[in-house]
Amino acid sequence: MKHKKILAVLLTAAMTLGLLTGCGSSAGSTPDTEGSQTDSQGTDTPSDPGDEDDTAKEEGDGGAITFTDMTGREITLTEPATRIVALTPSDCEILYALGAGDTLVGRGEYCDYPAEVAEVPSVQSGADTNIEQIIALEPQVLLMSTMAQTEEQIEQLENAGVHVVVSDAKDIEGVYTAIEMIGTLMAKEEEAETLIADMESTFAELTEKAAGDGTKTIYFEVSPLEYGLWAAGANTFMDEVATMLGLTNCFADVDGWGEISEEQVLERNPDYIVTITMSYDQELSPEEEIISRAGWENVTAVKNRAILNLVNNELSRPGPRLAEGAQMLYDFIYGEETEAGDSAANGETAE
Amino acid sequence: MRTRTEKFHLWEYLVFFAVTAAVFCLCVCVGSVNIPLGEIGAVLKNAFLGQAQTNALASSILIPVRIPRVLCVALTGAALSVAGTAMQGLLKNPLADGSTLGVSSGAALGAVIAIAFGVVFPQIPFGATTVMAILFAFLSLMIILGLAYKLDYSLSTNTIILIGVIYSMFVSSAMNIVITFATDKIQSITFWTMGSLQGTGYTDAALLGVTLLLCGGLIFFHARELNAFAVGEDNARHIGVNVRRTKLVILITVSILIGVCVSIGGTIGFVGLVTPHMVRMLVGPNHKRLLPAAMFGGAVFLMLADLIARTLLNPRELSIGVVTSLVGAVVFVFIFSQSRKR
Repeated sequence: MKHKKILAVLLTAAMTLGLLTGCGSSAGSTPDTEGSQTDSQGTDTPSDPGDEDDTAKEEGDGGAITFTDMTGREITLTEPATRIVALTPSDCEILYALGAGDTLVGRGEYCDYPAEVAEVPSVQSGADTNIEQIIALEPQVLLMSTMAQTEEQIEQLENAGVHVVVSDAKDIEGVYTAIEMIGTLMAKEEEAETLIADMESTFAELTEKAAGDGTKTIYFEVSPLEYGLWAAGANTFMDEVATMLGLTNCFADVDGWGEISEEQVLERNPDYIVTITMSYDQELSPEEEIISRAGWENVTAVKNRAILNLVNNELSRPGPRLAEGAQMLYDFIYGEETEAGDSAANGETAE
Repeated sequence: MRTRTEKFHLWEYLVFFAVTAAVFCLCVCVGSVNIPLGEIGAVLKNAFLGQAQTNALASSILIPVRIPRVLCVALTGAALSVAGTAMQGLLKNPLADGSTLGVSSGAALGAVIAIAFGVVFPQIPFGATTVMAILFAFLSLMIILGLAYKLDYSLSTNTIILIGVIYSMFVSSAMNIVITFATDKIQSITFWTMGSLQGTGYTDAALLGVTLLLCGGLIFFHARELNAFAVGEDNARHIGVNVRRTKLVILITVSILIGVCVSIGGTIGFVGLVTPHMVRMLVGPNHKRLLPAAMFGGAVFLMLADLIARTLLNPRELSIGVVTSLVGAVVFVFIFSQSRKR
């Protein structure tokens, strides 16, 4: 009797914990997109026997394409892909940037750029990835990241004749690799090269023009105070772009995205604030909300109104628009030199 | 068990208050940013005397950020703990709590719906999320009680707990459905499932304080009835307690307490479950003593949990719900096995 009761309590406690953590992980996975490196090595299985026939054929017709995806798996397609399902927003963006948007037959539910992508049938992605939905669309290739998919799921897809290609960019160099890989599988190598060259030249130009010497600090806010502050730390695209522009990320000691203490922001006193949050309050924009926070009035960025809101994931998504985002950040910080009178100008006058 | 007096004596109030005040001071002095004691004293002195602050950083951390947060944490802990004590007494069930009955998750669902579908009440001073959280806490309670009445007119404790568990599961799946419809707001929704007291201000503290005063007071006036319930529902009826009315009053005040707490701090589990058990070991099972002690105990427990959440992984913050659940689960199992041994 005694033991039964203890057991019951233990079970209840375990269940309650399970509920809590269960809710937490499903919702919490979003802010952590960049930080989580799910077992990418786990998917590193040798290509299945079926592929060997294709390799043999390759010599015959010459149209076959062999390449290595970003988990190191070698993949062989008999011809350039014409039916693709892409689960991550960044892969969709790359496809459109390469002029191959019309090959998309399915997209992950979070894909939202460019606007046309909304017309493509949506499939569940992330933790709820639905294999049946994907197979029903009969794609030749499924582009996805390393998150949340199990080896069994990948095997099921391969068995159904869908080539699973993983793109998994962790830095800008990785984005180039992803673009190159997608270019190869679409037989759009030239477009890919042009796109990469464009991005490289934008970054190079900005790095050269940027006058910063690392003394100015920037704070990237990815979740507003109301819901607990989250900042982008080291090993994020935002951090990489900030360094490129001669700025220092306030929270470089945090790896990936992390919930941080409000007090730390006040102490570290950033010169610039970039928020990628959306307005949760009907009356205040994210910039206004930051300005209105109690105790923040002495923060340099707030004093100078040097706050930028990037609403369209320009700097949080491993896609071609990173260059655009870098340009926007540059204009925000150094904009005074080119055109006077925009919002960033105020930030510069403090110097 | 030693014999214990009926009342919570003045000296006991003073002792509990002193401990709570000490923990409050500790939590104000220790934080993510290290501020020397002398500075803190200077800032507080200047603030009280209305003089200009000499240390801008220390004052802009202490006055608008740290003190209101610790205050809100203390009041939330006290409110949740009183609510938990009242429910455990009323339902004569050691597992009863806002989180186990599903009232907290119901309140969170209300807030999430307000966010996901952009609900606004222009005439009401509080945000739509606050109003919806309180509304849904009520609604959850009505659903749980309504079902319980339907199935078992005497509202036996087992029925209520069982329905509470089922209701929690229902709410958690409803929440997932809402999230599917509003994927772009998923970040804001995370807050309501994890709980965070970052960014709380003096207005939140005032709202919590008034709620605690009114609802806690009302519950305290029913301490005698709660004692009768704790022995047994039939016992309560036999000694002349208006069983249904008392139940209704207690459950409604409890849901107001929980609704306000959830709207300010999100769902924070285990506080209302664990602290009454800890405090009961100190002051005994009489609700006249237990309720005030639980109020202080809950404040201390949550302040310490928040201190861990704020400082353990500095500069990162942990979610307070994670800390309370981790600490709470372990402590609870320990207490429970201890009390069984006797």
